[in-house]
Amino acid sequence: MIPKVLFVDDDPAWLRLIQAELEEHTNSFVVVVADSGSAALDILKDNNISLVVSDLRMPGMDGFDLLAAILKVYPDIPVFIVTAYDKPKTREVVFKSGAAGYLKKPFSGDELAEEILNTLQKKSEGGNLHNVSLDTFLQLIEMEQQTCTLRIINKKQNTGGVIFFRDGDIMNARIGDQQGKAAAYEILSWSRVSLTIEHDCVFHDKKINGDLQAILLDSMRSKDEKKENKRVAESAESEILLDAPVAEKSEKKSGQVKKSTLKKEQKATGGLKAKKTKKAPDFSKMSVVERVRHRVQTEIGTRNGLLDIHIDQTWDGLVYRALDIGEAFNGGRLNVLYVNKGSNGQFVVVPGEETAVIKIDADSPRDRIIDILSE
Amino acid sequence: MKDIFNDVLGIDGVHGLLFISDEGAVKLSKFSNRFKDEEEKLSRIDWTSFTIELTGVNDAELLYENARLYVKKSGSGYLIVILGYEAPISMVRLNCEIMLPSLDKMKSTGRKIGALFRKKFF
Repeated sequence: MIPKVLFVDDDPAWLRLIQAELEEHTNSFVVVVADSGSAALDILKDNNISLVVSDLRMPGMDGFDLLAAILKVYPDIPVFIVTAYDKPKTREVVFKSGAAGYLKKPFSGDELAEEILNTLQKKSEGGNLHNVSLDTFLQLIEMEQQTCTLRIINKKQNTGGVIFFRDGDIMNARIGDQQGKAAAYEILSWSRVSLTIEHDCVFHDKKINGDLQAILLDSMRSKDEKKENKRVAESAESEILLDAPVAEKSEKKSGQVKKSTLKKEQKATGGLKAKKTKKAPDFSKMSVVERVRHRVQTEIGTRNGLLDIHIDQTWDGLVYRALDIGEAFNGGRLNVLYVNKGSNGQFVVVPGEETAVIKIDADSPRDRIIDILSE
Repeated sequence: MKDIFNDVLGIDGVHGLLFISDEGAVKLSKFSNRFKDEEEKLSRIDWTSFTIELTGVNDAELLYENARLYVKKSGSGYLIVILGYEAPISMVRLNCEIMLPSLDKMKSTGRKIGALFRKKFF
């Protein structure tokens, strides 16, 4: 499957120009275009995109917003930012925001093509494999404790997915905007696939609990259950179609079929199993510090950049002033404060009965921490 | 001088900007027409105690239920941007970063011209 490169710009003339400039590279990649950030997200949901090239200044969702949204849902897709708004700080901020590349407008088609081809080459640096038995190959990766990103193409359904490994441990999986176990099960249900290997993995923390063997077993079991349910549903439907009087068919189809299928499913699976639920932590018994730490770790994982959390009254002065300001302009409840003291550190302050102060690393996902604690 | 605020004010979701001296006096403010009442309320605040609390702070963000304030230290005071949650905060940070040198330059040029006049005529 030829990789697809998505170009996002609100200027249709520029998009047409890019399409024309890159036409000679159609054997290496296909150009897909979107005229806004939200249109780009729609395309990403339904297409297997390998690289995004976005303008910085766009009305509505700008390049930064789009970049943040892609990093959140499609962290394995590199994003290049292009802009005519080139200032010394722009490049720095763009890279700090997580972009994989930066190009200043105007640039030649050759320059752009070279950047794109280099990035695409990196994504398949470990090679391409065709007609592979996926479960066998994954077990090999686990055995050899490889760190890699596998981009898997299911030719039969013309769809693709990604599985991430770190030191042989399955970290995450993604199909479209779906991540985690459900995506892994779906990918593992594909029988013969083609794949490319990249010797890198964007995930440092596991988003899928359990090891590969357990996931493979679960996936096989879910595949069998799906087959069985399908078989039961089909046989139930054919039973009704054969036995029911013509006038009742539609009624039975809409209502009774479901009951009949459910009964048979219950029979086949030995009744509905009670779902194992993880015991929710008792927040009322937690201190403010524990609650804050728990929320950040649950949402972001252990590599969240939290250096220290403590109760600190010396920040109360700033909190009170912030409360006064909020009251004066009807800002509403004060949720959180972020304070950057340069070499003395960066802090997120959570007001409350006791003021919780979180010292964060300079490379921490600050905006995500702020978002989580603002909720 | 207020024109240098236009880039930031032009970003979707930005209500307005204030420039406050280190001592807490409102030196400049510019708000979009929709938020003139907000400008009035914020201009009336005594910022002195707030600027004292901000000593040693490079930048800060105050996140309220309905809006947020982005505070950036400049050479002689603090730039405060009031914005809604729909505003792209990275874009605001970048534009403020870009704008601050011009703001400082304009202020320092102003002082030099002032000093020259004082020397010649007084």
